[in-house]
Amino acid sequence: MRVEFKPEGIHLPAIDLWLDPRVPVPAAWLSHAHSDHARGLHEAAISTAITGRLYRHRWPLPAHRTQQLLTLNPGQSMEWRGATLTARQAAHILGAAQLEIEYEGERLIYTGDIKRRTPICGWETQPIPCDHLIIESTFGLPIYQFLEAAEAQTRIANFARECLAVGQTPIFQGYGLGRGQEIAHTLALHEIPCQVHHSIAALIPYFEAEGYTFPTESANGAILVTPGQEEKVPIPPAKRKTALVSGWAALDNARARSNADVLIPYSDHADFSELLTLIAESNPSQIDIVHGYAAPLAHILRQRGYNAREARL
Amino acid sequence: MDALAHAAERVAATNSRREKIAHVASYLQSLNDADLARAVLYLSGRPFPSTDPRKLSVGYATMRAALAAATGWDAETLALCYREVGDSGETISHLCRPITNAEPLSLQQAETHFETLRKTRLTQVKVDLLTSIFQTHAAPALKFFVKTITGNLRIGLQEKMVEEAIAQATSQPADAVRAANNRGGNLSVVALSARANTLESIVATLFHPLDFMLAQPIDETKELADPENWVAEDKYDGIRSQLHVANGKVKLFTRGLEETTDAFPEIILAFTNLPGPLILDGEILATSFQLLQQRLARKKVSAKMMAEIPVHFVAYDILMHQGELVFDRPLEHRRQLLDNLGLVRTSQQTPLQTHAQIEALFNEARARGNEGLMLKRRGSLYESGKRAANWLKVKKPLGTLDVVVTAAEQGHGRRAGVLSDVTFAIRDGDKYLNIGKAYTGLTDAEIKELTKVLRALTIEKFAGGRVQIVRPEVVLEVAFDGLQKSPRHKSGYALRFPRIVRWRRDKRPEDIDTLARVHQISLGAVLPEKSVITENPEENPAK
Ligand SMILES: [Zn+2]
Repeated sequence: MRVEFKPEGIHLPAIDLWLDPRVPVPAAWLSHAHSDHARGLHEAAISTAITGRLYRHRWPLPAHRTQQLLTLNPGQSMEWRGATLTARQAAHILGAAQLEIEYEGERLIYTGDIKRRTPICGWETQPIPCDHLIIESTFGLPIYQFLEAAEAQTRIANFARECLAVGQTPIFQGYGLGRGQEIAHTLALHEIPCQVHHSIAALIPYFEAEGYTFPTESANGAILVTPGQEEKVPIPPAKRKTALVSGWAALDNARARSNADVLIPYSDHADFSELLTLIAESNPSQIDIVHGYAAPLAHILRQRGYNAREARL
Repeated sequence: MDALAHAAERVAATNSRREKIAHVASYLQSLNDADLARAVLYLSGRPFPSTDPRKLSVGYATMRAALAAATGWDAETLALCYREVGDSGETISHLCRPITNAEPLSLQQAETHFETLRKTRLTQVKVDLLTSIFQTHAAPALKFFVKTITGNLRIGLQEKMVEEAIAQATSQPADAVRAANNRGGNLSVVALSARANTLESIVATLFHPLDFMLAQPIDETKELADPENWVAEDKYDGIRSQLHVANGKVKLFTRGLEETTDAFPEIILAFTNLPGPLILDGEILATSFQLLQQRLARKKVSAKMMAEIPVHFVAYDILMHQGELVFDRPLEHRRQLLDNLGLVRTSQQTPLQTHAQIEALFNEARARGNEGLMLKRRGSLYESGKRAANWLKVKKPLGTLDVVVTAAEQGHGRRAGVLSDVTFAIRDGDKYLNIGKAYTGLTDAEIKELTKVLRALTIEKFAGGRVQIVRPEVVLEVAFDGLQKSPRHKSGYALRFPRIVRWRRDKRPEDIDTLARVHQISLGAVLPEKSVITENPEENPAK
């Protein structure tokens, strides 16, 4: 199946479907609700139910507009202009899914953002063998190695406890959708109170609806903010410590970039070894790589006998 | 090395100096004597004591070859990984983690490896040894094993802090540990002596550089309350150096504690017959600083170069006399000892009485081609390693220029993720001509913001993205201490000691200083005092 990589997004001309387009289009698949993937008011948008709800929260429908929201939950299929579309679980953030497209005897998988390890919040990745794989490479270099969720949770809790024990305030940097709620949920599991920045707190109800618990607010607990906001926390430097929970925390230079003291390398993206696992599991005859280290990862995959290329958007 | 790595990561994970020292101290306390002696060296980024003249000579090419052999990665991937990480030890630890047997690495084994690497002459044998080390030991230990080889741990821990940690771990006064290390120069011996309560027995080691006493800058000599308690000397525009002499052997060290003996054979020759053991503090001078730099650039000097650029050493203090340290003798006493040596060239000391005299002496010093004046307090001691209030330098900066940033480069270590090194230009008509490069002056927060702004202005990338050419829009004010002709820069000039004074968000590239003004400065035109900014430029963006 022909795939076009354009600045507006990934386009499948044979069935006129866009994958995570950056501009409004007639028909779009939204792999997950991060704003670099689900953005704009498309005429028709296909996604999992959870992604649909999060997308609606972030892109409310103006009163005079209409939009067709089609739900395709993992395991469900639908016919679309001669192709069969099936959603498949993706471990990334709550509601994330891969799209499987079967067309004229060929199977294409678009992973969206994905990892192979078990996430703190959300479901596991379901690996699918395919002919053609479109995969991301945010961390597609062998220097990136991340923690298992359980180990990351232990470090998050230990960092918070160690700070609180010596009268310092633990500050976490987490993104507005995904990492932020994962950190907050982890603190709740360890019964550590936490003040949550409003941009993270706003989306907590969607996680509570899926059964995740969240910490109580207390001025004597941890503080959770989005990156860049930690400078605005009115606590003197000697009375605080900051942890960065991120894939970028795999490298020491993340300290200079983020003002964090403690680095916890946990991500909702695949690290290098997870990418290799995902690719081996789907064993595709053609690989297109988008985002991040696309060119070097394609180079590495070709050395290992894959037919891989960088797809420039 | 595994426990050292663990301690080092804890040091990296705090900004507090006090906490860093406490982490090191508690680690040192846990070690037996043999490991204590090793750990203090490795934590200060040295495989061997600084008194040991032998070098490891393991370069980046050797380490890259070993890394490629150990991991199987191609050169292209390795280069990219290194660029993203910005540190050899860290890159190696990440890339070896999936392939190593993860065996522990004891400090004793590390020491044996350093010794073997040093003794080995053949590069291939070094590569083979490193390859097997990379395949054998756990990644965290490898990280700090390699960082020790490259000489910088990049965890915000200076040797001074290791000294303080030794003091804390052994309940000795920090000053006593510092002084002992300055005298002896072997941190292992210092740590063991501190533990054995025998620091006082450490004697001065000749041919190991002692810390220099530094001067505090002073702009307004009128602020000096008691001129009659001071003496003045010219401040020379040369290379501050320490000269060690004993038994016909002479060595020179710079303020960075680097040895420069081989660059100045005529000075070595001139001092060979002096009765030692003796240590002098002074300055190496040529007819201009620019020429002096050409001499320093050469490891070995040709007879032709010695004839073309003659140099000499002006002594102004004495630190060791007849094998005895004389730090603790008053200025006048040390001066007497120095004068008794009957050297050809020593600084001229003038006792001061009035402020007017300072002004006159300053102008005379400048007329002699010197940088300014040094003021030294009567009766003061030589405070090795301190920027003490008993020495003042009067040197008035040449001025400041408004310049525009034309290129930026990724920093190293703590600043690996940001664009911290900027190249800047002055204006000639509608052309921008580079005149220098600066690394310092901005805060971390400002650098972070500047990085964001410069990334958005990028036109072109070089050196695998490390160097970015940017649209000339960001205006900085830079201060500098001198101007030199420079064929390397398009402007034909280079600034000496440029440092960023502030980010001029209130100025546009059209407003920056011109080549004509730089010509004027170089011709000795007196700089008008720059107008002081009265408003916060950010509140007045329309200007
Ligand atoms: Zn995402």
